[in-house]
Amino acid sequence: MALLDVQNLTKRFGGLIAVNDASFSVESGQIFSLIGPNGAGKTTLFNTLTGMYRPDGGRVLYRDRRLSGLSPERIARRGVARTFQNIRLFGAMTVFENILVGQHPHIRYNYFDAIFQTPRLKHAEKRAEARAHELLEYMGLSDRAFDLARNLPYGAQRRLEIARALALRPKLLLLDEPAAGMNPQETDELKQVIRRLRDDRSITVLLIEHHMSVVMEISDRVVVLDYGKKIAEGTPAEVRNIPAVIEAYLGKGALEKPQ
Amino acid sequence: MSEALLELLPSVLLEGLLLGCVYAMIALGYTMVYGVLGLINFAHSEVFMVGAVAGVEVYRYLGPHVENPYILALLALVIAAIISGGLAMGIERLAYRPLRKRGSTNRLVPLITAIGVSFFLQDLVRLIEGLWHGEFYMNFPADAQMEALHDLPMGMSIQNKSILVIAVAVIMMLALDHLVRRTRLGKAIRAVAQDLPTASLMGIDPDKIIGRTFLIGGALGGIAGVLFGLLYSQINPFVGFVPGIKAFTAAVLGGIGNIYGAMLGGLVLGTIETLGGTYLFFLTGGALGNEYKDILAFIILVLLLLFRPQGLLGKTQGEKV
Repeated sequence: MALLDVQNLTKRFGGLIAVNDASFSVESGQIFSLIGPNGAGKTTLFNTLTGMYRPDGGRVLYRDRRLSGLSPERIARRGVARTFQNIRLFGAMTVFENILVGQHPHIRYNYFDAIFQTPRLKHAEKRAEARAHELLEYMGLSDRAFDLARNLPYGAQRRLEIARALALRPKLLLLDEPAAGMNPQETDELKQVIRRLRDDRSITVLLIEHHMSVVMEISDRVVVLDYGKKIAEGTPAEVRNIPAVIEAYLGKGALEKPQ
Repeated sequence: MSEALLELLPSVLLEGLLLGCVYAMIALGYTMVYGVLGLINFAHSEVFMVGAVAGVEVYRYLGPHVENPYILALLALVIAAIISGGLAMGIERLAYRPLRKRGSTNRLVPLITAIGVSFFLQDLVRLIEGLWHGEFYMNFPADAQMEALHDLPMGMSIQNKSILVIAVAVIMMLALDHLVRRTRLGKAIRAVAQDLPTASLMGIDPDKIIGRTFLIGGALGGIAGVLFGLLYSQINPFVGFVPGIKAFTAAVLGGIGNIYGAMLGGLVLGTIETLGGTYLFFLTGGALGNEYKDILAFIILVLLLLFRPQGLLGKTQGEKV
């Protein structure tokens, strides 16, 4: 059974069709990549999947239930988390607080607990804090826990975004260009992290990435978008030899031999 | 002459502190709503007024049955907090949320709506009080025990009700600080203030958090209404306007969107106004009297917007809420 089933999804902005009749399905446990040239509609697709945009056509099923049309917070609570191409941390909060915000739906207590500081509340807070520390440890951010998020170096901010997304305890994690701006060493570490997410935590990953080395090494399956349309799908090895893909990336005529 | 004025100073500063506590409590409501919505909620002055009126009604109906004036004051504070908090939440639900859902990006629309709600509430309360009790001016009854004076050093003296005002304001501000910094709700409010779409992707329901923000800000405004009534005794349905606009000034003075700025701005403004009210007459040789004290707040607002528009504690990228 597919974890995420995208069926004929369309999103328009005025006359521009940003996502055009796109269909694909992501199986549980896959690392699934979306690639395509700039402006191909990848981020728009993410925004539509996470409820930030309403689709103009088609639908999205997640664990066989309709996801399209729900509000972002409902979708997040169903277990779909994401990161952003341009990092969107809560910069004026500490690293630790960013993780706690990510756990918002999982910290449960009521006003009675809050006013009378009941053991239930203390217990819920303790658990949330322990989990936050565990996630920071997992993403190698423990020593920066009480720094403001905006003061972290770039690579650490990217890791914090992933940690915050994990705080939601997602089944499906959408990563929007996580390797953007990373140096080769950080990129290698990122590959390990993404693999570990899948292997240790059974999180299915839907990835937008421009670094071809990341896509080709870790993806189980790749979909290629161009002008909002799906132009190819397959394993990394299959996709990289499809003429339409090469053309989309390098322009028409790239395959013709120079005279 | 100047010696007499100097002797007066500690008492004047104490008076300023009391007024500042009231301004700070109102200013918190402006600044919290601004933090999450970027909206100056001009209806907040009426949330404050309704709190004061609720306080009068508690005194009117429960006063004869409750012996202890402190318990009575606490009842008035709690009931006013509930009514004003509920009112603020209702205003958001009925007036602002529909506009937000329509997705208009024009920030004038909710602002003008807020002014409209403000007028509507003033006349609604006037109508209700007129039909109910045939009154325009309403009084918090004097109580000998509440007005009893305690002597303090440096020629100051303080009434029991003034101690109550300071204690309530300090407790509420500490509680708010705890709520915003430590609790799950507080973190969610800060997250929504910093980046609403991203907060919603963390599973936070922005509508719920915005509603809670109005509830908390409104409750503080209602409490401020009762404190105001305790200090100055007489209120009316239009009593919210001037303190409201001054509290707004205080919020801007501290740096709008910043709760600690609102607290500081309220205290600073209350102090300046009381100092001005006392000394303006003497300093100008009688040319300007006590009645000009209100102008001080607005002179400060104008100067501030000219020279430090981000406020005392505000940074251009400061932390909101």
